[in-house]
Parts: sequence; C-alpha cells; structure tokens
Amino acid sequence: MIPTPDISWISILPEVVLALGAVAVLLVEVQWKPEARVIGTVATSSIVFAGAFSVLQWAEASDAVAFGQTGDLVVFSGMIVMDGLAVFGRFALLATTALGLMAGWRYLESLGRRAAEAIALVLLATAGFSIMISSNNLVMLFLGLEVGSISLYVLAGMSRERARSDEAAMKYFLLGSFASALFIYGVALLYAGTGQFEILAISAFLRSNVVLTPAVLLIGVGLVIVGLGFKVSAAPFHSWAPDVYQGAPAGVVGYMAAMAKIAGFVAIARILLTGLETMGGQWRPLLGGIAALSMVVGSTLALVQDDVRRMLAYSGVAHAGFIMTGVVGNSTRGVLFYLAVYGIQLVGSFAVVAAVSGAGNTESTLDSYRGLSRRSPALAASFAILLLGMAGLPVTAGFVAKFGVFAEAWVAGYEWLVIVAVLASVIAFAFYLRIIVMMYMAESDEPELVVPAMVKLVLAAAVITTILWGVLPGSLLDLATDALPL
Amino acid sequence: MLTWLILLPVAAALVVMAVPRSRSEVHLPLGIALSTLPLALAGYLFYVFEPVAGYQLTEFHQWYEPWGIAWNLGVDGISMPLVVLTTILVPIALAASTGITERRREFVFSTLLLEAGMIGVFLSLDLFLFFVFFEAILVPMYFIIGIWGSERRVYAAMKFFIYTAFGSALMLAGIIALASTHASQFGEVSFALADLMRVDLGTGAERWLFAAFALAFAIKVPLFPLHTWLPDAHTEAPTAGSVLLAGVLLKLGTYGLLRFNLALFPETSVDAVWIMGILAVTGIIYGAVVAIVQPDLKKLVAYSSVSHLGFIVLGTFALTSGGLQGAVIQNVNHGLTTGALFLLVGMIYERRHTKQISEFGGLQKVMPIYAGFFLFMIFASIGLPGLNGFVGEFLVLIGSFATLPSLAVVAAGGVILAAIYLLWAYERVFTGVPDKAENKALADLSVREISLLAPLAALVLVLGLYPAVLLDKIAPSTESILDHIEANSDYRVPEPGRLGDVFVAGDR
Repeated sequence: MIPTPDISWISILPEVVLALGAVAVLLVEVQWKPEARVIGTVATSSIVFAGAFSVLQWAEASDAVAFGQTGDLVVFSGMIVMDGLAVFGRFALLATTALGLMAGWRYLESLGRRAAEAIALVLLATAGFSIMISSNNLVMLFLGLEVGSISLYVLAGMSRERARSDEAAMKYFLLGSFASALFIYGVALLYAGTGQFEILAISAFLRSNVVLTPAVLLIGVGLVIVGLGFKVSAAPFHSWAPDVYQGAPAGVVGYMAAMAKIAGFVAIARILLTGLETMGGQWRPLLGGIAALSMVVGSTLALVQDDVRRMLAYSGVAHAGFIMTGVVGNSTRGVLFYLAVYGIQLVGSFAVVAAVSGAGNTESTLDSYRGLSRRSPALAASFAILLLGMAGLPVTAGFVAKFGVFAEAWVAGYEWLVIVAVLASVIAFAFYLRIIVMMYMAESDEPELVVPAMVKLVLAAAVITTILWGVLPGSLLDLATDALPL
Repeated sequence: MLTWLILLPVAAALVVMAVPRSRSEVHLPLGIALSTLPLALAGYLFYVFEPVAGYQLTEFHQWYEPWGIAWNLGVDGISMPLVVLTTILVPIALAASTGITERRREFVFSTLLLEAGMIGVFLSLDLFLFFVFFEAILVPMYFIIGIWGSERRVYAAMKFFIYTAFGSALMLAGIIALASTHASQFGEVSFALADLMRVDLGTGAERWLFAAFALAFAIKVPLFPLHTWLPDAHTEAPTAGSVLLAGVLLKLGTYGLLRFNLALFPETSVDAVWIMGILAVTGIIYGAVVAIVQPDLKKLVAYSSVSHLGFIVLGTFALTSGGLQGAVIQNVNHGLTTGALFLLVGMIYERRHTKQISEFGGLQKVMPIYAGFFLFMIFASIGLPGLNGFVGEFLVLIGSFATLPSLAVVAAGGVILAAIYLLWAYERVFTGVPDKAENKALADLSVREISLLAPLAALVLVLGLYPAVLLDKIAPSTESILDHIEANSDYRVPEPGRLGDVFVAGDR
C-alpha cells in the first residue's frame, strides 16, 4: 500500500470554504432563483466558516510557535505557510468582506438576478487574496493575486449600463494586468538571481550566499515592488485609483479598495521583510521614496478634489504611503494594525458614500454632502468619526496606527520619512475637514435621508472599533504582535 | 481623584447627549449644572493641594506596556491653578451661551469634551497621553468655532485647526525622537516625563527637539509671528468659544513651554532665552500697537491677548523666581480678565449685533453697571495695583530685569501701550453722550449676566489684594524648575533674580 502524504487540510480550509461558497451561491441561484436574502445567507455562512477555520489555524500556529515547531506551518510542499501573518491578514480580509457585503447590500439587491454573480465574485476575490497572503511560493502568490484581481475587475464593471463603470473596469483591468505582468517578471528575475520560488528559501539563500552580480536580483526586487505598489495604489502607480473609485459601484468600492490594500501589503511585508530582509539596504531607500511620494502626492491631490470618492482614492494613496512607512520601519505589527483599522474605516466610509449616493449611486460630489448632519445626524456623525480616524486624530485607532508605524520607522533610522509623514498628515487633515465642513457647516433643504439598516450596522461596527482600538489599542495590538511571519 | 477630574466632564457630556434632541430647553441648564461637579472637585483639589515641590495626587496605570505608554497623572503648582481656572470658566462660558439656539445639545457636548481635554493636558505626566489630549481638543474647538461662529467661521476654524495641527505634528516627531533616544540609553521604552527628563541628548539633538516643541507651543500661545490664526479664531468664535480659547486654550502653549521645554531641554532653554525673549517682547509691542488701531472691539481684545501672552513667555524665559511665578500667575490672570472681557463684548454684541467701536458711544449713561464691570476688567488687564494683572506683570518685569534687562525695559512699555489701547477704547465706547438712537435704548446687565461676571471680578480682586493665596502654592514648583535647570546646565540664577523672593512667598 502506498502511504498517503500527510496533508494539512486545515491550512487551506478557509479558501476552500470560500470557493465552495461562491459555487454554492451560483448553483442556488440557478436552481431555485431565490430572494437575494437567501443568497446572502449562503455567502455569510461561508464567510463565518472561513472565519472559524481561521481561528483554528491561529491556535495551531500559536502552538507551533510555542513548541518551536514552526517548520510544521509550511505545508503543501512549501506552497502555503500558515503563520500568524497569514491568519491575521485573513481575519482582516474576512471582516472586510462581511462588512463590505453588508454595506453594499442595497446595491446588490438592486442588481436583481445578477446579485448572485456579484456575491460569488466577492467570495472568489476574498478566496484569491486569502491564498495570496498565505503563499510561501511566489508563483502561488501570483495565482492568488490574479484570482483576486480579476474578480475585482469584473466587480468594477458590474454596473455595465453606466459608462463610468465600464471605464473604471477597463482602466483597472488594463493597468492591473500590466502591473501583474511586471510583478511576474520580477518573480522570474528573483528566480534567476536565487534559483528559488519559495520566499523562505530565497531568504535562506540570501543569508548563506553572497550575490556577486546582484543586478538581476535588484531589478527583480524593483519590479516586484512596482507590481505590488500598483495593487496598493502607491504613487506614482496610483493613476487608476481615482477613476476606479469614482466609477465602480459605490456599494462595492469600499470592499474592493480595502481588499487590495490588505492583501497587497501583507504580501509586500512577507516578501520584503521575510524573503528579502538581507537586501534591506537596497529596497528600503526605494520603498521609502515611494512612501514619501505617495504621502505627499496623495495628500495634496486629495485637497483639490470635488468628488468624495476621488478624495478617498487619493487619501488611499496617502495611506499606502503611511503603511509603507511601517514596512520601511520593519514593523509587521504596525502594518497589520494599520491595515485592520484602515480596512474597516474604508468600508465604513464607502458605506456612507453609498448611502448618500442612493441606489442609483451616481452623485458623490462634495456638494451632495451639504448639510448631511441635518439630513441624517447619525450618518454624519459616524462619517465624521471615521474621517477623523483616517486623519489620525488621537482617541481614534487611526492615531495609534500612525503612531505605531512612525515610531518604528524612526527607530529604524528613517527620521526624514517620519517628518515627511507627519507633515503629510497635516495636509490630510485639511481635506478630511473639508467633508466635515460640508456636513456640519453648510445648510441644505434636502429631505431627511433614510439609511438602510445594514449600513447602520456596518457603521456601528466601524465606529466602535475606531474608538475602541483608539482608547484600548492593546486589544488589537497584542494580536498583531503575535502575528509574526515565519 | 485626578482621573475623575477628566472623566466627570466626559460623563457629563454623555449625559447631555442622552437627552433627546427635542428637549432643547433642558440641554444648557443641565450642562451648566453638571459642569459645576468638576468645579467642586477642582475646589477640593485647591484645598488639599500641598505647597511643596513635585507632583501630587499622582496616578499611574499601564496603558499599553510594550509601548511604554501609561495613564500617568499628577498635579503641581504650575498645573493646579490652570485646572481650577478651566473648571471655573467652563460653567461661565456655558451660562453665557443662552444666545445659541441651534444644536444646543451638540454645543454643550463639545464644550464639556473640550473641558475634559484641557484638564487632561494639564494633568498628563506622560508625553504620549499629553499629546493625545493636546491634539484631541482641536476637534471640539474646531466644531465650536465652525458651527456656532459668525460669518467667516469656516475659514477661521480651518485656519485654527491646520495651524495648531502643523505645530503638534512636528512635536509628535519630537516626542518619538525623545522616547527612542531614551529607549536606546536606558533599555526600556517610556514616555513618562520624569524618565525622558533623564535622557542625555547632546547639544545638536537637544536644539532640534527644543525647536520642535517650542514651535508647537509658540503657535498655540501664539507667539509673534505665528499669531495670525488667533484674531480670526477669536472674532469668529461664539462668546463661549472666545472665553475658553483665551482663557484656557492659549495657556496650553505657555504651560507647555514651562512644563516641557524648560524641563526636557534645560541647556537649550538657557541658550534660547534671548531668542524667546525677543519674540515675546516683539509680541508684546506688536500686539499692543495693532490693538490700538482695531475698529472691532473683539479683535482689540484678541490682539491684547497676543500682547499679554508675550509677558508670560518673557517671564518663563527670564529663568528667575519672579519671572516664573509671574508667568504662572499671569496665566490665571489673563484667563480671568480676558475671559471676562470677551464675555462683556459678547453681551454688547447680543444687544447691538455689532462689535464696531465706532457704532457705540456714551454707553456709560445707559448701561452704568456694564460700564463699571468693563472699566474694572480693563484696569485689571492694564495692571492697576490692587488688581491681579499688576501682580503678574510686576513679577514678570522684575524677574526678567535680572536676566534680560533691556527686554524688560521694552516690555514695560507694553504696559503703557495697554493703557492707551484699552482706555482709548473705553473712551470711545462709553464716555460722552449717547448719540445713536439704538444705543439710547440699550438695557443694562441682567441679574444673570451680573452673576456671570461677579465671580470673575471677585477673583480678580482677591488675587490682586492677596496673591499669596496662589503664589504660596506655585512657588515650590517654579523653584524646582530652576533647580532642575541649574543642575543640568552651567546657568545660575543671578543674585538679583532672587529679589523676587523678597516680594513673594517661597524660600529657596
């Protein structure tokens, strides 16, 4: 009898459940043509199961670390790594997915029979990104990235009757594919330079060998950074973001943006901080430059936008810079905390945008927020708290997140980057305040705004976590501290 | 107890928020009533406060240990008067806000949160905690100016926010730098002021950090030439906002200079006395000269703040007993008199809906009580002996004469200029015969308005006649600052600098 290899099923169960959920959603739709609510329940249960399995993974990973058997966490012949970084990232992805589905629920319902397609795409995207962040092999990572990205391209074009949506999808797809190509080319060059596809193996190779002609390797590293920099919309690779954020259906933009950020940055942290740590001297200045450019470009261009979605897109560019500051500062903890906080705030903010735009989800000009505090005090107050949170004002989680990455970058010797970052945060205050000014200091005759119950739930979750993690940061920081990569 | 001083206003704010929006008649009285609780507690604090050096009633709770941040509170002779001042001014500011009819609940909520933040700033002994409060108070103040202010309120609120946020952003970098230096020297992360005071920075780093902190505080004070946000913020803010802005918020700057710059960077502080002194004196003269030509009564008071706060900074960097004691007590004096002047301007604005000096004239005849209070506060502001302003300015001048004699001489000119702009304004507004019809029918102060001003007037008189009641509690703390500077630099307080001791309590 041939012995079967010992397969660690638990390590991929969350993704399996998500993919099965996507299939189930489509089958249920074809077979019974049920109400959207039924499809939503199917999707939710697959997210919940994925979350439950992730909890098991967390326990297993902590045990392995505690007993010093971290080798057990690299499974599927080195393809998958089930470390704290992957599991923490997956929690963030799942939370964002759940909140994103709730925030976009009104939009999804308005799609009618096509709702199932959109929901299946959401689950597939989450599954793809989830694989991406737990890949140890760069080719595997690329596959996850593509599954996730392609799902997002389609989601962006979901409102195909709107020209803007088509444009967004097309732009996202073309530029995104180009970036993917750069990334995979970078992976190939990394392989040429080290003879390895596995991140841990690359790390081991670089630790024990001196690369005499590092040109190929350096170009590879640069291309990988550019490719992923595009996914997280860091400047100067950000030009797609405003158009996509503006054109894609408001219901799903928050989800899309948060997903790409979380998965992209976990991958960046894994590749650079684990695989290429020994080359820090080479990539740190490059990444620092991209970070500084993103913060400055994002903050200043956000100032002159008259559309809230474009503003949030440029603010996303700035946030990419802030998170990169954490990567430069060698702080997985800081990056993970920032990602969790920002992801939830982003979904919450776009839930507000969707609520203000209405089911037709057309208008998101700054002017349509005029007097929002009268039309819906709770909505305006939540949005204000989320905006102040993203601006990084104390007592919100955004401040703790920024403080964390700044402090680590300072200790790592990147003082100039921290100074650029604090100054960029001041500019950022200005555009976040512009929205608050519109909501609170301008008057409007518009009728009262009815906020869907689902959106209220999302906002409650986002506001509570923003304040809770701002006042008691330890509750999340402890988890992020344990979530170390192998 | 100190924790309660911070939490009580927060709790009060939440209670007010819990009252339904429709019961708009309840919010303000409820807010006023609840804001007397912190006042009572602060009164008790004043009573139990021991006149000794060092921090009292300290509290310490770990916040997030790996980062070395803690809920670390304490009070000394420098912060105690400011805490008491804050709790006095908040109920008065709220009670003066009956003119606010829109969104009252949110207004009371913001004001009470502001109070919690201000008290938090004064009580924090942990730099991280301090920064949290320092920055967090921007939000309620931003809303107070931006929602309930006058025509150009949005512009003023934005300017206020961005100016101060800019300063504090660099201070945040400074705090991180200090803590990381401490971590590398002592092997443990801490943001506690007492720990960071032990850090050996080296001259270069110390200068940069001094500059970062000083910039943040100088914007807040505001020190010339960083003052341009102040007149806008003051003119546009509602009365309560102006009272709290002048009374307490500006003191965050002078307090920060005293508490952090002198303590953390003693050597650079000694080197910087001339720079800071010249800036302070420029502010004194500039503020006074600009105040003279203001056609708007509120702007005039705002510019007088620039001038008066120059005295506080001058006293701080005189680095003598008299200078420091004068600076601390002048913090309180300015809060009382300028707070009262803004109240008075607000009262006339509610009646006439203008603040232009030229619109008035002869008000003495129609509003004798109002004129009386106004003149009283003007005299206090000018520094008439027997009133509080005299004590503070005299101590500052005598203290700075010992170390910065030429600047003290120029600053004394500021006192004369103050007499010119304030008395000239009084003359134009109050003396003569009322020639405008609107002015003839003005009602004098109501009992409610008198009850707002009376406590402030009483305190002005008490501090003027018997300053020792406060100075006794201040002196040990200011002396310990001087001891700290002497221990950490070559500087020695010159012999005449102790002249201050002859006049005030506290033995060295």
